[in-house]
Formats: sequence, C-alpha cells, structure tokens
Amino acid sequence: MNNISFKNDIMPLTERLFRLAMRIVQNREEAEDIVQDTLMKLWSQQAEWADIQNIETYTLTMCRNLALDRLEKKERQNLTLNEAIHDQADNAPAPDDQLISRQQHDLARQLIDQLPEKQRTTVQLRDIEGMTYQEIADVMGITVADVKVNLFRGRQKLRESFAATIR
Amino acid sequence: MTTTSKNKDNQNIQTVNYQYIEQLLDRYWKCETTLEEEQILRSFFSQVDVPASLKPYATLFAYEATQQHETTLGSDFEQRIMDAIESETDKQQAADIKHIQPLKFTWSHRLAPLLKAAAVVAVVITAGNISERTLQTNSVGIADDDMTANDTYIMKEDISAKIHIIDQNKSEAMACTDSIQNQNGAGTSSPTPLDD
Repeated sequence: MNNISFKNDIMPLTERLFRLAMRIVQNREEAEDIVQDTLMKLWSQQAEWADIQNIETYTLTMCRNLALDRLEKKERQNLTLNEAIHDQADNAPAPDDQLISRQQHDLARQLIDQLPEKQRTTVQLRDIEGMTYQEIADVMGITVADVKVNLFRGRQKLRESFAATIR
Repeated sequence: MTTTSKNKDNQNIQTVNYQYIEQLLDRYWKCETTLEEEQILRSFFSQVDVPASLKPYATLFAYEATQQHETTLGSDFEQRIMDAIESETDKQQAADIKHIQPLKFTWSHRLAPLLKAAAVVAVVITAGNISERTLQTNSVGIADDDMTANDTYIMKEDISAKIHIIDQNKSEAMACTDSIQNQNGAGTSSPTPLDD
C-alpha cells in the first residue's frame, strides 16, 4: 500500500485501536497508553509503510501484540483482573440511554470481557468492528478456521450467559 | 380496508419478521451469518419493541451496536499523539545531528596513499632482485649439469698433451744440462797441479 497518510489513514483508527486494547487489558489508562505506543511505533516505521498491504489489519495486529505484552506483564505482577474491571466500570462512558440502559451496557461488557482472550478478541473484531474472518485471522495470526472456532465458542458462552441472566 | 384488517396485516408482517430474525439468530449462534445479516440483527435489537422470546439477547446486540459508534477517547487525545510525535521527531533530528561528526583527517590518513605506493614499489624491487638472482644461479647450474663424458675426455686429452709437452721440454732441458756438464768435465779432467 503506497502513499499512506498518518493523519488520514492511521489517525482515524484510534477509536478502533482503543476498543481492541480496552477489550484485552480492560483498563482505560493502559488502553490509552497502548494506542499511543502503537501510533508512535507506526510513526517510527515510516520507511516500511510502502510494504504494508493493509494498514488497518497491520495497525490492529501491532496494537493487539502490545496489549498482550501488557497483559502478560500484568499477570506476572499478579494484579487481579477483577480490580481492573471494577475500576473500568466506574470510568466507562454512559451509553446511549435510548438503546440500552447503563446496567445492561455494563452487563454485556462484563460478559464479553469474561471470555478467554482469543474468544473475546474474535467477538470484538467480528461483532463490534465488523471485520471479515480473513481480516480477523490476519490480525490474530491464526487461520480462518481457528477464527470461526473461537467465535463459535465465544458466542455459545454469551448465549448461555445472557439466557441465564434472564431466568 | 378497515382498521382491524390493517392491524392484522401489520401483525402478520411482524410475525414474519420475527420468524426471519429467529432464523438469523439461530444461524448467528452457529457462525453462519454474513456481516450484513449480523448488522440486520443489531439494527433489529436496537429498536425499543422486541418480543419477549428474543428479549434475552437484546442486551448483547444493542451493546454491540452502541460500541460500533462509541467515541471514548477525548478530543485532546489526537492532539496528544501529534504532540508526542512532534517531540519524538525533534529528538530524532537532534540525535541525527549529534551523530553527524566532521570528518577528521589525521597524518596517517593523509599519508596512507603514499605509504601504500611506497610499499608496492618496495615489493616490486624485492621481487625483481630475487628473480634475477635465481636466474643467475640457474645458468651456472645448467653449465655444470651439461658437461658430458666426452667433454671430460677432451679435457683429459688436452691435459695429457700439455703434460707431454712439459715432459719433452724437461728432457730437452736435461740433455742440454748434460752436454754442458760434459764440456765442463773435459776441461777439468787434467787439471794442472798447483805449484807449491
């Protein structure tokens, strides 16, 4: 891909990068740092932009890898994820009240966040970012078949969880 | 058409729609839906009136729909990134300038070509001398090696001839000496006695 503009092609991806980072590390401050690190790293690789086939998947891959690094470090430091979830829930922005209540919003977010990393990332990239199976496979560095397996398991768990909340 | 019949038609359309949504939902759980069909589900569940049978999943699809358009990063975030990039670029440029040092020419650098030329000349001269000496040694060696038995024989004959000449001269000289002695002996054989 030639003639990549940082401002026009990469900066508009910040929200998507933030949502993905947030889904993985589940902490607002850390997710912001990850997005910043991703963009800075991308900026420093300007010489390689011409070789990038798809800037969107490339950037999301970089963001996911940085987020996974953070997650690994955090796990090594024995920080509990529940604490992070609790903090984040308090800081989360209010959703559109006409569509969904704050309580429902938090419930849906928590149920997705409780999925294993690969399952919640596939759910995030497919159901929220609207990406194709191939694009998700490229971002996650796995096969399309593995994407479908992870998505299937993730959706099945969500189905059970939501059904259980109503009973 | 009466009002009651209109309501019935609407109910029928809704029933058909719900059946379609249920089918879509069934395929959604099996990961058999397309992106467009999944978008239809999100749009459907984002509306206020959702039948009770589908209610459990409304929260999930409505949440996904709101997330797609949610802007959670503040407006200052972009500016923060651009400032960080600008700062990083300045640092990089400063580092680049620091790394560019003026070229230093020392005496050893300046004389290097001259020294190289001198070394080449010295090698050529040494090689020339060595080869010359080797050729001379070889030529002497070849002369010694080429002397045949015939040459040795000729040399021996020559030496014998010279010895023979020397012997002849010697015998002539002996003969001459003898004749002189004989002449002297005849003169002294009757010496006159000395008078007392």
